[in-house]
Amino acid sequence: MTKLYRIGLVRGLIWQAVGTAVGFGLFTALRAVLGLAFKAEPAWVFGMMFGAIAFLVGLGAFTDWFRWAKGEATPEPEEVQDPPGALRFFGISFDHKVIGIQYVANSLLLLVVGGLFALIFRVELARAGMQFLSFLWFNTFIGLHGIVLIGSMLLGGAAIGNYTVPLLIGARDMAFPRLNAFAFWLSVPAVVLILLSMPLGGFETGWTGYPPLSARGPMGIQAFFAGVWILGWSSVLGGLNLIATILRMRAPGMKMFRMPILAWAVLATSIITLTATQLIGMSFQLVMFERLLGMPFFEPARGGNPILFQHLFWFYSHPAVYVFVLPGFGVISELLPVFARKPLFGYKWIALSSLGIAIVGFLVWAHHMFTAGMEEYLRVPFMYSTLLVAVPTGVKVFSWTATLWAGRLRFATPMLFVTGALVIFLTGGLTGPPLGVVASDLQLHDTYFVVGHFHSTMFGGYVFPFFAALYYWFPKATGRKMNEGLGKLHFWLMFPSFLVMSLGQMWVGLHGMRRRIADYDPALGIETAQLVVTIAGFLIALSILVYLYNLVTSLRRGEVAVGNVWGSRSPEWQIPSPAPAHNYPAPLQVVGEPYDYGLEGSRYVEIGSGKAVPQAGD
Amino acid sequence: MSGSPDDLEKMSIPATPPQSLRKVLIASANPLFARGLQKMVAEHWGRRGAEIRLADSMEQAIEALNTWKPDLVIVDYDDVGRPGAIQRETFLSHFIAGERPMQVMLVSLRASGEVVVYDRRTLTPDQAEDWFDLPWTVQSEISEQTQPPRRNRMRHFVIVGLLTAVLTALVYFLLTTARLYPVAASVQAGPIDAMINLQVGLISFLFALIVSFISYSVIFFRQKPGEKGDGPFVTGSTRLEVLWTLFPLVLVIYLSFAGAQALAEVRQPEAQVLQVKVTAFQWSWLFEYPEYGIQSNTLYMPVDRQAHITLTSRDVIHSFWVPEFRVKQDALPGANLVKEVRITPTIIGDYKVRCAEMCGGAHAYMESPVKVVSQADFDAWVQAEMNAANASPEQRGERWATTNCTSCHALDGSRLVGPSWKGVYGSQITLADGSTVTVDDAYLLESILDPNAKIHQGFPPNVMPANYDATLTEQQINDIIAFIKTIK
Repeated sequence: MTKLYRIGLVRGLIWQAVGTAVGFGLFTALRAVLGLAFKAEPAWVFGMMFGAIAFLVGLGAFTDWFRWAKGEATPEPEEVQDPPGALRFFGISFDHKVIGIQYVANSLLLLVVGGLFALIFRVELARAGMQFLSFLWFNTFIGLHGIVLIGSMLLGGAAIGNYTVPLLIGARDMAFPRLNAFAFWLSVPAVVLILLSMPLGGFETGWTGYPPLSARGPMGIQAFFAGVWILGWSSVLGGLNLIATILRMRAPGMKMFRMPILAWAVLATSIITLTATQLIGMSFQLVMFERLLGMPFFEPARGGNPILFQHLFWFYSHPAVYVFVLPGFGVISELLPVFARKPLFGYKWIALSSLGIAIVGFLVWAHHMFTAGMEEYLRVPFMYSTLLVAVPTGVKVFSWTATLWAGRLRFATPMLFVTGALVIFLTGGLTGPPLGVVASDLQLHDTYFVVGHFHSTMFGGYVFPFFAALYYWFPKATGRKMNEGLGKLHFWLMFPSFLVMSLGQMWVGLHGMRRRIADYDPALGIETAQLVVTIAGFLIALSILVYLYNLVTSLRRGEVAVGNVWGSRSPEWQIPSPAPAHNYPAPLQVVGEPYDYGLEGSRYVEIGSGKAVPQAGD
Repeated sequence: MSGSPDDLEKMSIPATPPQSLRKVLIASANPLFARGLQKMVAEHWGRRGAEIRLADSMEQAIEALNTWKPDLVIVDYDDVGRPGAIQRETFLSHFIAGERPMQVMLVSLRASGEVVVYDRRTLTPDQAEDWFDLPWTVQSEISEQTQPPRRNRMRHFVIVGLLTAVLTALVYFLLTTARLYPVAASVQAGPIDAMINLQVGLISFLFALIVSFISYSVIFFRQKPGEKGDGPFVTGSTRLEVLWTLFPLVLVIYLSFAGAQALAEVRQPEAQVLQVKVTAFQWSWLFEYPEYGIQSNTLYMPVDRQAHITLTSRDVIHSFWVPEFRVKQDALPGANLVKEVRITPTIIGDYKVRCAEMCGGAHAYMESPVKVVSQADFDAWVQAEMNAANASPEQRGERWATTNCTSCHALDGSRLVGPSWKGVYGSQITLADGSTVTVDDAYLLESILDPNAKIHQGFPPNVMPANYDATLTEQQINDIIAFIKTIK
């Protein structure tokens, strides 16, 4: 028993459970002392926040700060030794590579959970008529599918950033290792709260949580709001850390335009997460106050306006989609040269296009509100800005195509996923303008066409590149390769199934299928297509099972791969695998350009002076 | 000669060793490196009887050079002036001083990636002449060499260009025959469908363009099996970048401009509109015609006449959408947030308006019928409704109840969201707290105005709207009660 309690994660969860009960009780007792009747909802909200903080205390996330408050000294993050073996992943570690893998684990967990929610409601939708779900539970599952997968994508992007950036720029770790650990561990109690929405009664609004519907109705919405609020902090703090690291900790000689392109992508992503995330937290917080304290921010009868919520919400939630895809774009840019054996076409333009997308992405939010009833004249400028995003995005797509063109392509699993990502993102991206043009959006808004569009852009910009990254950097993290045959099976199951699912979603949307409906009129003639979409979803789930099986078996029995398995010029592949603690034995010397494949005799980095092969015990 | 580690194998170590090359000395201060090299050489030549020896100091290496006389020496040199370290200069001076054929291969772990081979051979005059014909590989010529000749490159582009054209036509054909939208039954559908069609063309072309280039690359630019080495050293093209930034920029500006014009057309008001007030509520619609003072739960519209529809909600955000009419607009709660949409139906027929904004609960089923009829039929309908408004309280009550109550209260005894009205007046019912009450006029009135006060046992509280005192007039409520009394 005590052995389990020594594990940080276990301790944290126990403290969260106890803390929630204590918070609930404290609040109720306080009300009783003041002579007020018992109210479940505010007691739960107070309890949940108290419990989340208790998680962090129990885990030990505040221990160093408590010590400093008492005037005690603590070891530097570099001096702290992680416990050996797998135990290090279940408690606080300051090593960015461990934290990166923790993010991967949480992200994959959410991918599976969120995907399961989808499988459930897709079974319901496969035939017309209500088969086994109630309205409440259908609505809750679609909302949870949305937010859980959004969480998965945020954590996956953080995984990519945290694991790779110090390696890419030649740093020993991130700028703020303690903050890095803290930002990761925020995500665990947040996920617990989001899932707590189910026993607390579910919620009916979908992940967008619009009032007035979210200001009334089942209490599960409070758990959803609280969980997202906390998860947002993980994004903000992680972004801050990455920006500081990229700007200040690059190896000597690694000017901004000489660093690996993935670092540019992560930089652009972090600018967004640092500055925009607060808006979703705030919009949810205002609804929580409306429910708990009767503050009528969004209630017209008492002077409020529901459209205000939508502006605040989408001001983050649109840039958020660029947070999801920019790291994936960076992975595509990073991997294509390695597998095409050709320089990245137009490195500078690609680097700047990431920043361009991030900036323009802040100017387009109200394209989610074309029918919402905001001032009519606002629709036109938002249409212009929305279509403008296509320009830097197009630069990327054209550049990637030009990188492939005339190369010497090798199709290992990571390359399959990156190429597939390109094709899928192209499809999703091209279905953007019909939604961005107001006139056509009047027909398409709130239909399954939108669902097809964003699944396509998310799979192309995040899911496929994320898997590419997992296959690509697995040897770096473990010293083994994943099984190529299973990897190819994963791809060839997922890619066509996804295309069928996405095009099917668009098709039913064009034929009258609205969003967020538990049932549809069989007279629309879409029942067969709905069944096909459901089956495709199950095949995607199967492909992910193949991946997870591959992951587990490769960890134990994968082919040993301690060298530069992909023939990459990138710094992290010039050291042995698994990458040693603190990465490089000596500072990197930048002696060339990152992507000069095909230039005879050129190198990108040298590992300092002295020994080339780091000795054991580094 | 110099090259990259990839070339190590193909350049310096031929597949079969020459008859005379059998003794290999590996001189390295680094035992791991030495053993790795030994393994590699043994893999290649072990079976053919190559003999390998190791030397880990300058002394041992010179000794082996002089007595054992190797045919190939692989030297790992490092400049860290350790006593006994292998020194490149000393080694090479021994190499130059000799006469036997011998090769020295210098490898440095520090400046890794470069391998220098010194090949000492004695040639006859004829062999020397042949030696002059050996191909040069000079650094500056490499990029030209690895680029295929210009004519070949053009050929690729021509083929891809053709592929793009064919694929554009195919995709365009598929998209236009896939029925991307239902029949256009309003004037507003015109500009909307035009914008969709314009974009279908652009999408077809752009999709075909990129997919053609990618597919061609994936098929024809693969690395052949056994082939090592990189692709052409092409880092970018400023001209191309500018082109593919400017061209899309112009395109999106044009598209936005066309889209703004389309939107203006969609919003164009006409004179002589029909005013319709639409109220959305969980989970149905109410249509009112203020010019005639009538209410309906079916949206009647005269063909070819613009209806100016104002939208409001009693509770949460809903959205008004008839797919055949195209336009969509959210309905918001709040007297100050009334929204509008203009629809001019063009085809007589039956349609459905369905809620297009998540409103909880039965959002999926929130629909009402829409009937587009001729002006004459519309006038007849209006007249009938106005006559009905003058009918008896029970008849009026039936009308109000049909629009406000019967979606939840069945008239035939079946249980819907709320209790059935069949035979309810005058009956005894059990309340949630177990007490019984007789359903009289007072009970009915209280239950309409304050639904939670005396709830029928077995039915959930907080479902029936509690604001009928605001949304129905006193007369309407009395009419409804009169109607309920008639249902036996």
